[in-house]
Amino acid sequence: MFDIRGRTGKVVLQVIGTVLIVPYLFPLVVMVKGAFAGEGVKNFSAVLSVPGFGRFFLNSIIISAAVIALVYAVTMMAAFGFAKLHIRFREVYFWLLLACLTLPEVVLLAPLFATDTRLGLYDTYWAVILPLSALQVPFAVLLTRNFINGLPNELFEAARVDGANSLRGFIHLVIPLTRPIAAAVIVFTLVAAWNDYLMPLVFLQNPQLQTITLVPQFFVGEFSNDQTKILASAVITAIPEVVAYLSLQRLFERGLSAGAIK
Amino acid sequence: MTASSVDEVGQRSVQSAGGVGGRPNQHRRRTHRPPGLPWILPALILSVGLIYYGIGYTGYISTLNWDGISPDAQHVGTHNYARIFHDPVFWAAVRHTVVFFVVTFVIQTGLGLAFAVIMHARLKLAAVYKVIIFVPVVLAPAIMAPVFRHMFAPDGELNGVLRAVGLGSLAQPWIGQTSTALPVIMFITIWEWTGVTFVLYYAAMTQIDPAILEAARMDGAGPVRTLMSIIWPEMRGTTVALAILGAIGALKTFDVPYLVTIGGPNYATEFLGTYIYRQTIPLDHVGYGAALSIILLVVALVMAVILQWAGRDRKARD
Amino acid sequence: MRPKIRLSAAVVAALVASVLTACGGSGGSSDPGSATSGTINWWGWTPTDTATAQNYISAFNKQYPNIKVNYKLVNISDWVAALRPALASGKGPDVFDMQPGAYVTQFKSFAEDQTSLAQQALGSDWKSKVAPIGISGLTADGKLTAMSVGAVYAGMLWINGNLFKQYNLQPPKTLDEWKQVCQAFKSHNVGCFVQGAAQEGFDQDTLQSIANSVQPGLWTKASTGDAKWNDPGIVKTLEIWKDLFTGGIMQPGAVGYQQYPDSNNDFLTGKYAMVMMGTWYTQYATTKAMTAALSAAGVSGAKPFPILPIAFPDVAGAGNSSEMYGDADFGLAISTKSKSRAAAETFVKWMTTTTAGQQVIADQLNDLPALKSVTPDFDSIQLVDPASQKSPVQDLVTKVGNVTEPREALLSADVQTAILAAATSVATGKASPQDAANTLQQAAEAAGETFK
Repeated sequence: MFDIRGRTGKVVLQVIGTVLIVPYLFPLVVMVKGAFAGEGVKNFSAVLSVPGFGRFFLNSIIISAAVIALVYAVTMMAAFGFAKLHIRFREVYFWLLLACLTLPEVVLLAPLFATDTRLGLYDTYWAVILPLSALQVPFAVLLTRNFINGLPNELFEAARVDGANSLRGFIHLVIPLTRPIAAAVIVFTLVAAWNDYLMPLVFLQNPQLQTITLVPQFFVGEFSNDQTKILASAVITAIPEVVAYLSLQRLFERGLSAGAIK
Repeated sequence: MTASSVDEVGQRSVQSAGGVGGRPNQHRRRTHRPPGLPWILPALILSVGLIYYGIGYTGYISTLNWDGISPDAQHVGTHNYARIFHDPVFWAAVRHTVVFFVVTFVIQTGLGLAFAVIMHARLKLAAVYKVIIFVPVVLAPAIMAPVFRHMFAPDGELNGVLRAVGLGSLAQPWIGQTSTALPVIMFITIWEWTGVTFVLYYAAMTQIDPAILEAARMDGAGPVRTLMSIIWPEMRGTTVALAILGAIGALKTFDVPYLVTIGGPNYATEFLGTYIYRQTIPLDHVGYGAALSIILLVVALVMAVILQWAGRDRKARD
Repeated sequence: MRPKIRLSAAVVAALVASVLTACGGSGGSSDPGSATSGTINWWGWTPTDTATAQNYISAFNKQYPNIKVNYKLVNISDWVAALRPALASGKGPDVFDMQPGAYVTQFKSFAEDQTSLAQQALGSDWKSKVAPIGISGLTADGKLTAMSVGAVYAGMLWINGNLFKQYNLQPPKTLDEWKQVCQAFKSHNVGCFVQGAAQEGFDQDTLQSIANSVQPGLWTKASTGDAKWNDPGIVKTLEIWKDLFTGGIMQPGAVGYQQYPDSNNDFLTGKYAMVMMGTWYTQYATTKAMTAALSAAGVSGAKPFPILPIAFPDVAGAGNSSEMYGDADFGLAISTKSKSRAAAETFVKWMTTTTAGQQVIADQLNDLPALKSVTPDFDSIQLVDPASQKSPVQDLVTKVGNVTEPREALLSADVQTAILAAATSVATGKASPQDAANTLQQAAEAAGETFK
């Protein structure tokens, strides 16, 4: 998109980019080196052969998928509402929503536990899905509202003039045009849900429901700490997230093209 | 639509990108907008419903002297809050949080923006860079903490590299010193989160109409001028959002300082987030921890409002 | 919508109750269920790997095949956060680990009194049959909150036998000797002593050992309020502590290290010759454990070396031998809200009072068994170098059986935090030993410790 003409420009930018990326690469190299230390590739097979690994992986997928779906649906609707529709005391509601972001997770454990048991959700997927979604929504709404604000009002008014109500405007305008930010929201929600450690630990008792974040625990003890396996499990855990990021990459590329306006 | 209306739309998108709540149509009569309340209701029910019980609960126990589990809790009213103001560790944590926020925000935003611009310029190896900068975001701090401790250890990789390039005099125990522990924490945090700013700026830049950039180039604007006068202003909304998230994140920050330095040495890297955790969990001062959390909530909201106000468009609202 | 939720909550509660209640019980919490069948949930931070726990459970099931035990490993760093809501809600474990000190204070109201269980299992003179250190630490408000499974003791050093032999050095017995040994190692580019000085527990051990060398028993007295934390003896302790840093014994940057994995890996990979660990480290004297630990530390194909226990040097030069101290490593508590109390009691009894159960614990060489009559079976344990190790290790095991000085049981979490602050402020030079001791005394008073 930003076409740099001229070779010097290109080279300068390439050099800058490479120099800037080195500090980010350095710890990664150290970490991967650590994952292969000791027993080498056997570290990875040791991680994969942790009893129940397949099950944990599946549970993480289920929970993350549910959180993403819930967060996406709720966020898109709310961001659309905040950005383009009329709401009395709109900003008050917005700050109410934002306040949910401010409590540290550890402080929420006890009240969430009480709520879960009262609703009979303890030791079910919902005990983890609902709080994770609730914590992600304000963050996602903040970002998406901002993005939708950037969409020209004319589009919506034109649609309204054509007789479409808000719902159709939503489906045919908002959803397609917010692909870049939706992709970002999905990736971040995935990372938050996939990596969450505290909620599955406290709210899931049944080993059949445990998630993949539990796997490093198998290698950490009070008086022992198997770094190599822990790092290997970190690499394995990270792979699905990076794959998701790369697959959604192309969605970042879409923008306000003339075709969309038509 | 014709080219001129694309242009018009482009201009409006420039105008409307400013400020999260800004309204661009100052030259038009405000048209009727459909009601939005039903649209925001699910979000409110989910988040507010689930979390506000937690907020209320926290508010209530902040008035107690309680260890979180025993049946007898003492009501002490606002005593916990009074103690907070005399607590030197609290103020140290606040200082660290402020410094931390300013430094990490500036650097993360700058680097994220730089990378977004560079990636949009379609360089070779862009795909590789995109992955490298994002992988830190997905790696759990709990797992990276020992790696970083090892990297910054007196005989670790960083000092090794410094010695190899002849800067051996700079080699020091980065984490074992109160003077360098906080910069280390900031480095790790920036490493972890630049990927987020990058992704968001990248996505926001896709909203910039290429026609505008083309027009600027035709007018002879160099890359730096384009960056400052066209790209940066368009990013205002994203920047404000990142600032708000950054402020809240800085206040809550817990994982990295707790796992890498345990808030030390000697409270040199103590943050509000770590202090709250320390008070609530190992020390069982659940009431005090709750009071700290309420203060965090209030400060966070105030900061968010200030940042939003500071970042809004200078145009008058209608 | 509301009534539906209430209904499903009731259904779930009923299901849970019927699963946890043993056959035919009325389902109420007053019915302890059957003593020989049922399902119990055991939460623990130790054994630190589920394989070991499964070992214990299979051995248990040989005698009681109808009691199913589900072990849930919860890392100690998440223990309080996870257990608090679980116990309070009544949906938590039936059996849970208990450690002397802060955890006993926190969770005692949810633990059954096990005095009668001990009496039933071992007779009315049960107190003489188990290590005393396990009883006092786990008793609170006159109630025995948990039966000790095993104990750990500290107050000694472990050295790399090969490194000392290689450079012809003798284990130090005084502070000066220690400094000389460190200088000798340094001249050969080998690290001397490594410690995770960022962490309270290990700093506390070193301080307690120094204090025991200065004035035996002073540390315990300060812990109970019979002496003040700014007693001249404690100030001297902090001065010697500082000397460890300035005298070249502590490794550079020590206050940034954590014991696991940093210091542990450095010692095991041979970068440092000495480390301060307790009796739990005995497990690394075996070939199997050391090889696994070396691989865990990232070294491939390394050969295990013999580690040897040595007494903490007489750093004060007052002629006192620095005595060891210890605590129950963990005990098993039974939740007052358990619906399978009888089965839980059977399990706890087996693990803590039967020879079969305690022998399995002993042979792990991680904990020293609570039951006095049981000792590790050294004939079946394979040490790296029996010639140099067998004798010191066996001596160690015998010696600790008589230790009565507590390690952390007497210190509240607040005082522990204050001790760490004192240690790091002195180590980094931010406070003088006298000032740090004064601050520590103030903090202890503010935390509610009463002094005579």
